[in-house]
Amino acid sequence: MNKTFNNLKTFYHKLGSSPWFYKISGITIPYVALFSFLFLSIGIVWGVFFSPTDFKQGDVYRIIYMHVPAASVSQAIYYTMTVAAVVSMIWRMKMAGIFIKSMAPIGASFTFLALISGSIWGQPTWGTWWIWDARLTSTLVLFIFYIAIISLYSSFSEKKSADQAVSILTLVGAVNLPIIKKSVDWWNTLHQPASIKFTESSSISPEMLYPLIISIFGFYLVVLLSGLMAMRAEIAKREINKEWFKNY
Amino acid sequence: MTRLAKRIFYKELVSYKKRSSTYLSPIVFFLITIALYPLALSNDPADLAFLAPGITWICVLLSTLLSIQNIFNEDFEDGSLDIFFSLRVSTLSLVIVKILVNWIFSSLPIIILSSTVVFLLFLPSESLVILLTSLLIGTPVISLFGALAGALSLGKSSILGPAIVLPLSLPILILGTSAVSSFLNGENPSFYFLMMLAIFIFLLPLICYACIGALRLHYE
Repeated sequence: MNKTFNNLKTFYHKLGSSPWFYKISGITIPYVALFSFLFLSIGIVWGVFFSPTDFKQGDVYRIIYMHVPAASVSQAIYYTMTVAAVVSMIWRMKMAGIFIKSMAPIGASFTFLALISGSIWGQPTWGTWWIWDARLTSTLVLFIFYIAIISLYSSFSEKKSADQAVSILTLVGAVNLPIIKKSVDWWNTLHQPASIKFTESSSISPEMLYPLIISIFGFYLVVLLSGLMAMRAEIAKREINKEWFKNY
Repeated sequence: MTRLAKRIFYKELVSYKKRSSTYLSPIVFFLITIALYPLALSNDPADLAFLAPGITWICVLLSTLLSIQNIFNEDFEDGSLDIFFSLRVSTLSLVIVKILVNWIFSSLPIIILSSTVVFLLFLPSESLVILLTSLLIGTPVISLFGALAGALSLGKSSILGPAIVLPLSLPILILGTSAVSSFLNGENPSFYFLMMLAIFIFLLPLICYACIGALRLHYE
């Protein structure tokens, strides 16, 4: 028990060291790339070409293999950024700041993808590009948060204070996101808008579910891959003049 | 701590009194934006009465944005913040007093002024009390967010402040306008007031410490 804890502790300390991360990520990136390509292609190809047609929506529903993974990833990235923000605030770990800085644009792009694919799905199915529904509104707010984090980061010239400022904003945003979500829900029940409901609970058949799960897994791997690459680039940018980097 | 807070309070009052533009410009802005809505939408009293709570809340929100840059900027530029952070005194009282004074000068006049929407936007006069109460409870939270945004964007471009404050204050906007519209529908609005109060109490310590952290960034 004690030994595993010690191992975890050394792993955590290693995680904070940029040379170690640079080395390890360089080794793992090809494998992650291979697996993300595999999962994504299996998921998408299975979903788009081999899964059965939905009897209500027809073939349009197949965008689900893009939309649901993107939406799930967009929120997960914010949660991981929150954890990194806590680490960065408490232990001032350099890598946590690099993580937030690299993940914010990725999160923003996946949120954007979720919004766009949702409206492309909504147009033929429910006859509207956009509706002020609770879920759409909170996804839009999440997107705005990502943009605010990115613009706050870019307004600092000093990297260290930029990391801290972004961590503060990420944490305050993380505390606020549930409040926003809840209040948007109340607002939505108060102004019962149209008869369109995106949150219809319907059981999905296994033949459709399996490719969806694979595709979600593939999206997470793509996020891991792009995160590793972005963090590597950021490390290289910040430590280009360091001795270890010159000798790498 | 209380003596220090009192002194900062008086100092802040004096400095706000000297710079009258900091509290006059939100008032002017508020009146102008209120006047824009009837011109752009319609002058039909029934339409305006329906939209009045929302319009008032949006105008209050936007006018308070004008003053967030002033909360810490003056002290940052003349170096008093520097002295505060190098002295071993409570920075918490500084932040709280500054937020309080900013609220008194930028939000309170607008709240008082917003009672004119009864005439300007034909808001039913019995719901005015509800609107004013929702503003009184809701604007302190917006001031908190404003202080945080002001602290984070000290000496930076001024567009950053609104980009931080506006998404954060969405719940307050929703709850505040819902309180009035639920009252107009004949329901009891106390749920929304309690909810806003709960958000304020929950966020007060959190945002104050976040502000201190953000201010400290500029002195590292």
